[in-house]
Amino acid sequence: MKYLLFICSDGLPVPEAMAVMQRDLPAWIDEMGGRGVRLFGRELELPEAAATVRVREGETLVTDGPFAETKEFVAGLDLLDCADLDEAIEVAAKSPVSRYHPMEIRPFRGELQLGEGASRFARDDDSAGTPYLLAMWMSQAPAALLDDEAVKRESDAWRRHVQPSGIHVLGGALGDPETATTLRVRDGETVLSDGPGIDAAEFIAAIEVVSCPGRRQAIELAAAHPIARHHAIEVRPFYSG
Amino acid sequence: MSPPAVQEAVDAAFREEWGRVVATLIRRTGDWDLAEDCAQEAFAEALRRWPADGVPQRPGAWLTTVAGNRAIDRLRRGARGAELLEQAGREALARPDTDEETMPELFGESDEIEDDRLRLIFTCCHPALPPEGRVALTLRSLAWLTTAEIARAFLVSEATMAKRLTRAKAKIAAAGIPYRVPPAHLLPERTAGVLAVLYLMFNEGYAASAGDELIRAGLCDEATRLARALWHLMPDEPEPMGALALMLLHSSRRRARVGEHGELITLEEQDRSRWDQTEIDEGLRLLDAALRRRRVGPYQLQAAIAACHARAENAADTDWGEIAGLYVLLEDRMPSPVVRLNRAVAVAMAGDIETGLAIVDELAEQGALTDYHLLEATRADLYRRRGDREASIAAYHRALEAARTEPEREFIRRRLAEQSAQR
Repeated sequence: MKYLLFICSDGLPVPEAMAVMQRDLPAWIDEMGGRGVRLFGRELELPEAAATVRVREGETLVTDGPFAETKEFVAGLDLLDCADLDEAIEVAAKSPVSRYHPMEIRPFRGELQLGEGASRFARDDDSAGTPYLLAMWMSQAPAALLDDEAVKRESDAWRRHVQPSGIHVLGGALGDPETATTLRVRDGETVLSDGPGIDAAEFIAAIEVVSCPGRRQAIELAAAHPIARHHAIEVRPFYSG
Repeated sequence: MSPPAVQEAVDAAFREEWGRVVATLIRRTGDWDLAEDCAQEAFAEALRRWPADGVPQRPGAWLTTVAGNRAIDRLRRGARGAELLEQAGREALARPDTDEETMPELFGESDEIEDDRLRLIFTCCHPALPPEGRVALTLRSLAWLTTAEIARAFLVSEATMAKRLTRAKAKIAAAGIPYRVPPAHLLPERTAGVLAVLYLMFNEGYAASAGDELIRAGLCDEATRLARALWHLMPDEPEPMGALALMLLHSSRRRARVGEHGELITLEEQDRSRWDQTEIDEGLRLLDAALRRRRVGPYQLQAAIAACHARAENAADTDWGEIAGLYVLLEDRMPSPVVRLNRAVAVAMAGDIETGLAIVDELAEQGALTDYHLLEATRADLYRRRGDREASIAAYHRALEAARTEPEREFIRRRLAEQSAQR
């Protein structure tokens, strides 16, 4: 099963946490990559770098800043491929990041689509373009819209459209927030709780990752996505070291 | 068999077999709702046939077979039937013509069925499920209780309880919670999680402060029965044994702790001749067996504390020094303000009222348990024992404000009246 791991944060980590994570992350990435349970993961720029895109009556509305005004935000994500939730929990709990940040484990709703840009993205190779996260925020579970056949067809068409140019990295609809599990590690002990890691009325119902030359193009891609007509899409660049 | 005898046999078989039938069907079909529905139908069929035909020699095998056949019928009719049947293992499921009475257990050997029940307990109590969903799902899947009965026991509407159950089952499927007994490295932690659910269930019934009395008593029985099942399934683990001992020792006082008018009677004032000696004996035996394994845990410690009370001929004989010591060990493993409050009582009862009060004051200063009436009630009781009537009355008044249930308030009012009368 494919799971998305949201790293939840409420600001820049303190220097010592940063040092520990930088020291221990490579070993975790090697171990989990070697086992085939972690496909890849990247850090995001801070929410200030985000733009929120809506399309209403044919008009694209762009606001600066993130969609949700919460103290906590998604600081990065990892893509896991695990036998079951227990394995995903084990993988997340072993990450040095979980010592400092809550991690939300969310299953995908259906198929995860990997685009041509996926392998470059996984290698942190941003030479062809900057990777952007398009996070589709919705306010009410279940996200029935995601199961709507017409919307599915349009989403597929959107992916086909961005596919040949190597823009599309990955994308997929996520399980409802009620399928989420949030993990914290305190004094070496794994503590689980039911539900999302970010306490907001809205939730991220689906994601797409695109790689493109700049923010303007990323916003255009978001505006072309069918979900933008119904909900809001937060566009945020990944961190390029 | 006479009709009442048949009814009794049917009830006993149902109570014993429900969890087994559901557990096996879930493994075979992967579909929780289908498993429950088909088990329900098999039980209805038994109710029709057993009174006339007699209870089969192996009621569990009979029920599982009938339920399994129903599952096959439904899967055949369903759109995804063929696919699901494939997944379920066609050869194991599809033998519809076999005589239900004499047929072999087509769902596997009895060991496997016991494993199914263990799988089911661990899955229902998975820590990624919401806590109230764990309790509800455990009761629905493993105990022969309807959604309406579970709703009544927890004082929520049937619709709310149905929603909890649906949510929990949906999460198991969508989030990929495995249907299995956890591997060795997870077992201690997950077993503690299962015991927490069973003990919560027990306490919900034991509190008996509101709700349908009969169903609440049923909760205690079901929790005890499931703890017993868990012990049988994991005979080498001392904590399930300790939890069962704890439940039996508490359960033994059930008749003595509530008065004629539903009022609570303290341990000190209970008529100990009304304690159930059979339950006490079994509880003490289990506790000894558990402690011999030398892997002490919080349930064994709580059972050991309950055992100190059970062994005392009368309240004055209670070994409070021993109890205070056990609370130190318990607090070490399970630090909580409630455990500390209990330690304060034990220390005071062992003779050191000042130290006991100091611990209570410290808890109050930390702001712990402020909306918990027992903090003030304990303080009031310790003042009373010290002979400090004014302070005791003031504390009882504060406790009265924090108390939430009528029997609790009634108890405090009685204490207040006693204190005022001595003036």
